[in-house]
Amino acid sequence: MKPPSEDHDLIRWLDGEMTDSEIAAFEARLKADPLLSKEAGELRALSSGIREHLPAEMQVPHSDFFNSQIQVRIAQMDLDKSHQKESGNQSLAVPLLTWLRHPWFATAAAVALAILGFVLMRPETPSSGHSLILSSYTPGLGVEARTYHHIEADATVLILDGLEDVPADHKISGLSVHSSDNQSQVATTTLFDATGSPLLVISRDAVGHPLFLTNTPRG
Amino acid sequence: MPSSAATDPGEVSDIDLVKRSQAGDTRAFDTLVTKYRGRIYAMTYHLIQNETEAWDLAQEAFIKAWRALPNFKQDAAFYTWIYRIAHNVTYDWLRKKKIQGDGEFDDERTEHRVAAGAEATPKGDAAPDTAMRNAELGQRIQEAVAKLSPEHRQVIVLREVEGLAYEEISALIPCSLGTVMSRLFYARKKLQEQLKDVYETTL
Repeated sequence: MKPPSEDHDLIRWLDGEMTDSEIAAFEARLKADPLLSKEAGELRALSSGIREHLPAEMQVPHSDFFNSQIQVRIAQMDLDKSHQKESGNQSLAVPLLTWLRHPWFATAAAVALAILGFVLMRPETPSSGHSLILSSYTPGLGVEARTYHHIEADATVLILDGLEDVPADHKISGLSVHSSDNQSQVATTTLFDATGSPLLVISRDAVGHPLFLTNTPRG
Repeated sequence: MPSSAATDPGEVSDIDLVKRSQAGDTRAFDTLVTKYRGRIYAMTYHLIQNETEAWDLAQEAFIKAWRALPNFKQDAAFYTWIYRIAHNVTYDWLRKKKIQGDGEFDDERTEHRVAAGAEATPKGDAAPDTAMRNAELGQRIQEAVAKLSPEHRQVIVLREVEGLAYEEISALIPCSLGTVMSRLFYARKKLQEQLKDVYETTL
């Protein structure tokens, strides 16, 4: 193998980085040197093979999800910014950081976020106003998700187009949640129906796995 | 430096989309993401050869771009700008990986290994120009590029895939022109060794 300084001429020629006079001189060398000419031919074929087989543009896997995740993170950044502006008080920062170190914080935060999301979506909540769906993602390529706020029903409606028909004999039931209670000390959240009866208790077991306790038959 | 993709008549220009994004219009930014995600993802994928990590890094590049948008003066095309961000994000990731100890980032070591590189030559069963189908060749090339050190892979991607000139590569990495040429030389020699059965010709 020749030292790089000599071979720079070859790759500069290959990559079109030579001046006209340099090209003429190098091509004269190629004619006079069969070994160099062979090397140049091989490298040129290699370059064109790479260009052909390494595409400059590729299909992004789950591209809709790719975009929606970016939108979610942007929304989170905006929320963080507004929270920082609101809190702004340095004296709050130290106790908050201490609080963050508690082992149950992650669980409590996850539950609180879930409840917050639920409350925002709940039509009966008088203060919720119009729910805001930041983004939606459907794993199935043929399924499209749309949302809108129904003013009369005071509800956010989610429409999934493209799903297969549900068989008529398929039983579907859900929970009609009217209120919730978050017990952060024991990291549990209880969801209640209109009569105040508990429907679902969300917690974690000894090894941190989610635990759901319900007294409502689910199908 | 890579420039923006050709736009259809009637399609909103990058300049407008950037202005609207700078004013906080996330839909305009989403359009820019859709327009360039394929090229940015291809770059991150070619550099790190891992689908999941490439996906994350491409996304991280767009997030960083959103954060930096207020400071973007449009003195370069949006794609050139986002490409640079994506490249830096990916290269930082590769540096961290190097610190974690895979040791593959040592240019000199790799170069010496290339000089003794006959061991890397695959053994073909038949004359490649007749036996190897195009798809198989593509697979071989991708595997060979994946075996390069990150620095060598980087210059190959920037030069062969993105078509950047030496000066653009040296500004982007950054390094001297001599280093760009050396890395390109050694990267090609290594690829040549690995694909010897495909590209070797007889006098």
